[in-house]
Amino acid sequence: MAEELDDLTDEMKAAVGVETSRAIYEVTTQGIRTFARSVGYTDTKYYDEQTARDTGYSGLPSPPGFLGMPIFDPNSGGRRSEIFTNPFTRRLNGGTEVEPIEQVYGGDVLEAVTRITSLELANGRLGQMLIQSNETIYTRQSDNVIVAKTRGTGISY
Amino acid sequence: MSEQIYWDDVEEGQEFNLIEPMDSQRLVIWAAASGDFYQIHYDDNYAKDNKLPDIIVHGALKGMLVGRLLDEWKGEGGSIKNWGVSYRGMDPARQDLTVWAKITKKYQEDGESLVDLDVGVAQPDGTQTTPGTATLSLPQR
Repeated sequence: MAEELDDLTDEMKAAVGVETSRAIYEVTTQGIRTFARSVGYTDTKYYDEQTARDTGYSGLPSPPGFLGMPIFDPNSGGRRSEIFTNPFTRRLNGGTEVEPIEQVYGGDVLEAVTRITSLELANGRLGQMLIQSNETIYTRQSDNVIVAKTRGTGISY
Repeated sequence: MSEQIYWDDVEEGQEFNLIEPMDSQRLVIWAAASGDFYQIHYDDNYAKDNKLPDIIVHGALKGMLVGRLLDEWKGEGGSIKNWGVSYRGMDPARQDLTVWAKITKKYQEDGESLVDLDVGVAQPDGTQTTPGTATLSLPQR
């Protein structure tokens, strides 16, 4: 168990508002179909582009919440670099919020920029915890339009 | 395609839901869709070695099931302003999960006809693991 902190470290305080990642997300038609299948959609507009066009879409629409996949880097080791020293080694996903802004389509390429919006220490049944809130803004590269924002909460303990 | 819902016709307190089987195949398809390949979601031995009762449903999958419920209910004429959920508990796989929503407020703001909702995911015994909220814009007649 990590040593208890009386307050956020200076390094943690300085991390709030800092950009933690910038990645390119590809929204492929196959990605849309796999996402739609995984959550159980039966509406064929998410699988068949002609059905989508007949429904009024300009291409294969992405279901709400699907913003593509980041391009995999085989040399990253699957880990993100930390911008502050976190003494808590266990992690939980605390929650997710999605704010769809513009319709996303198969073929879109999005830039996803994530920032830390808050860091708080709290005490719970797991002991002392660090609660980190992030916001990610997704911008379509072809027209520089923000298409969605997501917010996530990570818990370290 | 679902029948169009109109703001005029919905009421505070109205509920809707869908029931989804969470078998191992579903979790593997989600892993491919999301890129979340953590083995506690599809490898029985790995899950048991981590003192879990069974493989467990991905939190993000539950969040996106709520998104699907809202997307299908609002119809082509509606739009999702936002939704969010908290992951308060684990849901072991190989059981049906009920994804639900309940209208808590019906109002108009900035020219839009809106409803706020409580949303969540429940296990067959009623245990709530994924509470949240949402706001939808619906068309008027």
